[in-house]
Order: sequence, then structure tokens, then C-alpha cells
Amino acid sequence: MEERVHVLLVDDEPAITENLAPFLTRAGFKVSIASDGQQALDFLTQSRPDLIVMDVLMPRLDGRETLRRIRQEGDWIPIILLTQVGESTERAMALEEGADDYLNKPFDPQELTARIKAVLRRVRPGERPLVSATMIICTGLRFDRSARRVFVDDQEVTPTPRALHLLEYMITHPDELVSRERLLDVVWGWDYPVGTRAVDTRIAELRRLLKDDAADPRFIETVPGLGYRFIAPVEGEA
Amino acid sequence: MNWRRFLFLLPLFAGILASAWLNIFAGSNPILYVRLDLGTLLLLTGGFLSILVGAGQGFFLWVDQREERLLDDTARERRRFLSRLDHELKNPITAVLAGLANLRNAAHAASDDKTLISVEDQVQRIRRLIADLRKLSDLETRPLELDTVDIAGLLEDVYQSVLNKPETEHVELKLLIPHAPWPLPTVRGDEDLLSLAVFNLLENALKFCEPGDAIELRAFEDQNSVTIEVADTGPGIAEDEIPYVWDELYRARAVRGIPGSGLGLALVRAVVQRHSGSVSVRSREGSGTVFLIRLPV
Repeated sequence: MEERVHVLLVDDEPAITENLAPFLTRAGFKVSIASDGQQALDFLTQSRPDLIVMDVLMPRLDGRETLRRIRQEGDWIPIILLTQVGESTERAMALEEGADDYLNKPFDPQELTARIKAVLRRVRPGERPLVSATMIICTGLRFDRSARRVFVDDQEVTPTPRALHLLEYMITHPDELVSRERLLDVVWGWDYPVGTRAVDTRIAELRRLLKDDAADPRFIETVPGLGYRFIAPVEGEA
Repeated sequence: MNWRRFLFLLPLFAGILASAWLNIFAGSNPILYVRLDLGTLLLLTGGFLSILVGAGQGFFLWVDQREERLLDDTARERRRFLSRLDHELKNPITAVLAGLANLRNAAHAASDDKTLISVEDQVQRIRRLIADLRKLSDLETRPLELDTVDIAGLLEDVYQSVLNKPETEHVELKLLIPHAPWPLPTVRGDEDLLSLAVFNLLENALKFCEPGDAIELRAFEDQNSVTIEVADTGPGIAEDEIPYVWDELYRARAVRGIPGSGLGLALVRAVVQRHSGSVSVRSREGSGTVFLIRLPV
């Protein structure tokens, strides 16, 4: 029998762990539970899960600090943060601090399993993930994440803040089909009925800046009826 | 009563006071001989009057600001409360969503279990409410991404997106945008947020209209603003309820049976206020309603 993927679920709210753990188990994962950041760190000293799903707001040691400590030790174990402050800064920070992905509470549990699978597909064990890279490079495109600057063929371009945010998410999640709803959630933190059009507008802006042709894309591919995918090969630098 | 209108009487009033003071405290009216150039005299009088009027204006400004601060405090307090409520609801709803998924997965649950379906529907409803609460508190703090917004294009886009909805089938929906003598001006604004506001107004009108009703989305400009109107021949709003329609979680008596979060119009108001614009509503019960958004050009 194939080894089941081991997920460490960290949340201080028993109602959440009690309901999510059986769900994840049924979805085929092996689940362990920690009720705060400190417990999660303790757990990591004895055991090696494949992925961590962690709440941000927790007593003792919160999710953000725990994430920082894990990354400081050079540990690139995949981490999905469960954010709950709707503010865009919180979401931007989740990625900057090296979470592999994040989900806003409340979420559909199916969405969580989809995120877990997407992250595991992307991550190569032991390797520094793109989300922790400060400089991301692919042919003809350079994204300096700490300075928040983008260069196309060594010429700097200046996308609007929302387009920049969109590009950051797409380029750190290459080869992944991202739905318009997900992108809307990334840029806005909430979705609204005409919002998917707003996503299309930003994608069009990015394509213009990146000199990308929608019909024959180098960077961003449209997947009809489903969303977008960043297709160029990407490399990260510390 | 608006005292501001009588500001011009302030110098006269000051004169009367001064003269009364002389008569009462300085005994009989003393006669004062002053030798002064006519020019200087006029200059001094003019200066004195300016100071008086300026003081009056300053006073009114102070009153205005104090009122605004009080209003701001109440609004802020209410937003803080809503955001805390949003926060407290998130964890339980996340747990309930997971619990429901477990019930769904359990072998003994039939997929058409009425109770399960009903509970799922209700949870989704609360979830939408939470999402709207979050939008509302987020709108207060989020930086606007200002750009030149083509209002005509924005209205066209929103109109098209609503046209696809099944609810529009039995309603006569029209878009009226003036092109002559010149096209609608552009405004500085956040296009995403402005289209959200217009969409909410249209969706709101659609929700309350019955088959055969007419809805018009229209816009026009006057000297320094663009007005966007959403007019419908729907049920209208009772007069005593009109002042409250923009409030968070307010639901008019006549429409309590129609699903909705009660936050749609509050969101519209929040968006428009952040653009230094204003919202208003005119309605006659039984005839219909016009919602207006006015944005500075």
C-alpha cells in the first residue's frame, strides 16, 4: 500500500480540528493535530509530516511566528496558512513570509484538499520553494520581490498594485491552473459577482506589460472556462 | 434653521451691540472727533468687517467639524463592531462547513437528505453574510487604486454582466447613456469598486422587481459631477423607511421575505463615500424607486 501523505493540522479551535481531521482522513491523508504553534514546533522535532496546515491566530505562538521560526531553520516543509483577517496586507504577508499557499476562513473543506494537493504537486522535497525566493527569474522576466519591482528584458515596468499582486501569485505558483475566483480572492480577499471581469482586466494589463500574446502566450495562458496558468519555466533566487 | 444664511448681518449686529454697550455703560453717547484720511477710514472699516465675517465663518467651520467627528466616531464604532462580529463567526462557520462535509461523506447519508440540504443552504447564507461584512470593513481601510474611469464603459460592462442572469428575462432592462453633445466625462476612481457599487444597485432593483417591471440604468453629467441612476418600476419603499435603506443590515418591511444580506446598499454607500461622492434615493410606494450615485468629475 502506498504511504499516505502526512498532514499536521494546527489550530487552537477544537471545533475546527475535530471536524477537519476526519474530513482530511477520509480524503486519504494521515492527520496529526497540534493546538498551537509551540506544540507544532515540538511535534516537528519528533516527527516529519509532509505538509502543515496552520491557523494564523493562535495563543502562545501564532501561525506567523511559527512559520518564521520554521523557515529560519532552513526548513522548507510545505505550509498552508489559514488566514482570517480579511485585510490584503495579511494575505500579501503570508506569501512573503514563505507560506506555500493560504486560504481565507471560512473555506470549503474541498478547497483545502485541492490546495494541499496543488502544493504537494509543486513542491520538490527539501528544495527552497519559490514563495520563499526574493528574486524570481524566467526568460525575459525578473521579479524582485523584496523591492517589488518587475523587469521585462531588463527594462523596468510598473504594474498597478493589484496587477503586481496577481503576477506575484501566478509566478510563485507556476504550472498551476488558477481559477478567476481564486485570483479574485488573492487580490481582493473576497469575491463579488462582477469581480471576475476585474481579474481579466488585470491579466490584460499584465500581458500588455510583459509583451505577452494571449493567442500564443509566453507567460500567462488562458484556460478557457477555467482560469489562467503561468506557463514559463521559473527559477527562484534567495 | 441655517444660521449661516444670516452671516452677512454679523457686522450690523456687532454695530448694534457696540452702540448698546456705549449707551448703557458709558452713559450718554459720547461724541468722538477723529481726523483721518477718508481712504484710511474706509480701509480700516473694511478690515474690521472682514475680521468679523471671518470669525463667523470660522465658528461655523468648527461646528461642522465637530459634527463630522461625532458622526465619524459612531460610524467607526459600528464598523468595528461589525468587523469583530465577522471575526467571531469565521471559526464556527469553518467548523460547520467541515462537519457538513463529513456528514455528506458518511455512508449512511442519502444525497437528497432534505435536512442536510437545508442546513447547507443556511450555512451558505451565513457565509455570504460574513463575506459581505468583511467587504464592508475592508472597504474602510483598503487603499483605493485610482485611475481614469470611463463611466460609460463601466456601465456597459455591468449592464452586460447582469443581462446574462436568468432574473432579467421577464424584466425590461435598459441602458441609457448620453452621447450628445459630448460623451460622459471620465472620473478618477477605483474601477473595480465602482463597478461593484453599480452592480449592487442593479442587482438590488432586479431582486425586488416583478415580471413586467422596467429597470433603467442611466447616467448624465452636470457641471462638476456625474450622476448614475438605477430606476425601477418595482414596489417602491415606504416613506418612513427611506432614511434607513443605506444602513448596515437594514431590511425593509415589505421585502423581508426576499433573501439578501442587507449589506448591498451599505457597500454602495461605502464605495461612493470613499470616492467623495454621495448617494441618495427617491421612491414612491407602489410606483418605483430611483437610486442615485453622484461622483465628482
